[in-house]
Amino acid sequence: MISLTDIPLVSSERWKFTDLHKALKKKTLTPTVMGWGRGVVPLLTHAPGHERYGDTSLWDLNTAQTQDIKFISGSTDVNIHAVDGQMLTPRIIIHVKTGDTLTVNEFLGGTGSYWKNMVVQVHVEPGGHLYHHRIITESAEGIATIFTHVVLERDARYDAACVMMGAGMVRNQIHAEIKGSGAQCALNGVHLLAGEQHGDTTITIEHQAPHTQSHQTYKNVLTGSSRGVFQGKVHVHQAAQKTDGYQLSNTLMLSPYAEMDTKPELEIYADDVKCSHGATTGKLDENALFYLRARGIPLAQARSLLTMAFVSEVIDRIPAEDMRQSLLSDISQWLSDHV
Amino acid sequence: MISIKNLHARIGDTEILRGLDLEIGVGQVHAIMGPNGAGKSTLSYVLAGREGYEVTQGDILLNGESILDLSPEDRAAKGIFLAFQYPVEIPGVQMTTFLKTAVNAVRTARGEPELNAIDFLKMMKSKAQDLGMSDDMMKRAVNAGFSGGEKKRSEILQMAMLSPSFAVLDETDSGLDIDALKIVADGVNKLRAAHRSFLVITHYQRLLDYIKPDVVHVLAKGRIVKTGGADLAQTLEKSGYADILKDVA
Repeated sequence: MISLTDIPLVSSERWKFTDLHKALKKKTLTPTVMGWGRGVVPLLTHAPGHERYGDTSLWDLNTAQTQDIKFISGSTDVNIHAVDGQMLTPRIIIHVKTGDTLTVNEFLGGTGSYWKNMVVQVHVEPGGHLYHHRIITESAEGIATIFTHVVLERDARYDAACVMMGAGMVRNQIHAEIKGSGAQCALNGVHLLAGEQHGDTTITIEHQAPHTQSHQTYKNVLTGSSRGVFQGKVHVHQAAQKTDGYQLSNTLMLSPYAEMDTKPELEIYADDVKCSHGATTGKLDENALFYLRARGIPLAQARSLLTMAFVSEVIDRIPAEDMRQSLLSDISQWLSDHV
Repeated sequence: MISIKNLHARIGDTEILRGLDLEIGVGQVHAIMGPNGAGKSTLSYVLAGREGYEVTQGDILLNGESILDLSPEDRAAKGIFLAFQYPVEIPGVQMTTFLKTAVNAVRTARGEPELNAIDFLKMMKSKAQDLGMSDDMMKRAVNAGFSGGEKKRSEILQMAMLSPSFAVLDETDSGLDIDALKIVADGVNKLRAAHRSFLVITHYQRLLDYIKPDVVHVLAKGRIVKTGGADLAQTLEKSGYADILKDVA
């Protein structure tokens, strides 16, 4: 059994759109060990930024419970598949050494009712580069809470893409600390939500050094009575002059019953920075739909083509051809099932 | 081929077409001219089946069958094509993907086999070349960043690819310089055929110097008020619409 006493409540600012408490209450789960082993790597015991940003309980729960720790320092795929009744507590530590380039692909899925409380620690040393892809196809009753903490040193690069195509409830939380000058952090996401699914992306980016860049581009497609959440905070510390921060969340509402909550935040303490954010929520363009139909393309196919165009901007940024092709084919399957 | 009978249509509460009658025979090219606000673009949208344009009376028959209940895509499959006055830009959808999807959707609906990638590309390249459209344009998003002339050429290319039996050209000359106009008109003239009819909608006579119509109609206040031969266009160019409109109640 799991104890609910440490689970964040909707009364907490960063959790006000995602009621994890309510989602977990109905579940009977057993902590389950996957057999990765514990290794000898020291864990970060406290959630980063816990003094300033609060919101540490799921990190701490992971630290207290985890028996599955994976240490990664070379390109690899990680599969985490849960089955009914399980509570999994995976911990992944990715270490990119000076000048290395790594690609780590995470595939998160499962069947039945379960909870994954996952922590991923990423450390990119000077000049290192990590491509981090997360493909989420959780079951309709699966819950995944994922806390990713990223530390970037001088001239390090982090390129992340998250594609969510299945969820009961997913909280994808990313906290990036850009500590070294010249470092760049790009977070991209496509969230395809249907039925009663709930997908929450909550981001904190801390620019702590001068001449650093962060770019966030998220595309949400909501059908059924699904609910999407995007909270993105860019925090520019006083030392971080010449910061270039950009944040964009576009949402396509394909159903009148879906709901999107978007909350961009900028907190800037330096005076020579370039920061922008934008959020749009809209429907498919009627002019474009008519144009396609007037060319003989049936309505459903026209909707699917336009929706694919909407998300492809993010997919096109993934450098690996095979990953890109496989995602495009999964997305077009999702579109033909749900659009 | 196409037969429009006593057509009344409105947008919201505004009646735009008020009893329009028009017969276009197989292989004929008809032109509709008229002042701004006569209902020219409304007619083109009603023919293509755009939502929001409500037909309150009358009928449109294609080869004897009413098309009023058909969706835009079903009308396209039946052979109706509208070249838009303002072609829509669709970011993120590549021209090639768009054309292939459209051609194969129409072929499927017409009971023909889909084209494979190689045959499709061959066909597209040769038709694009005829219109002076580069391979690079085919790799770009639909009409995105195209100049006015390129957009109109793109419309003619789509027409050539879809091989319609009845094509409506809505102000295809608008925004074109004389060179672009010639290319577009050549593209249309190449498609003139015994089995294909055209309705050329235009404000100016200029386009009709290059696409010679069999019949010219004047549309005013939602009705055809005058019909004549190709020479009617020249008369209008000299005297303007004022004389004709005077006689329309």
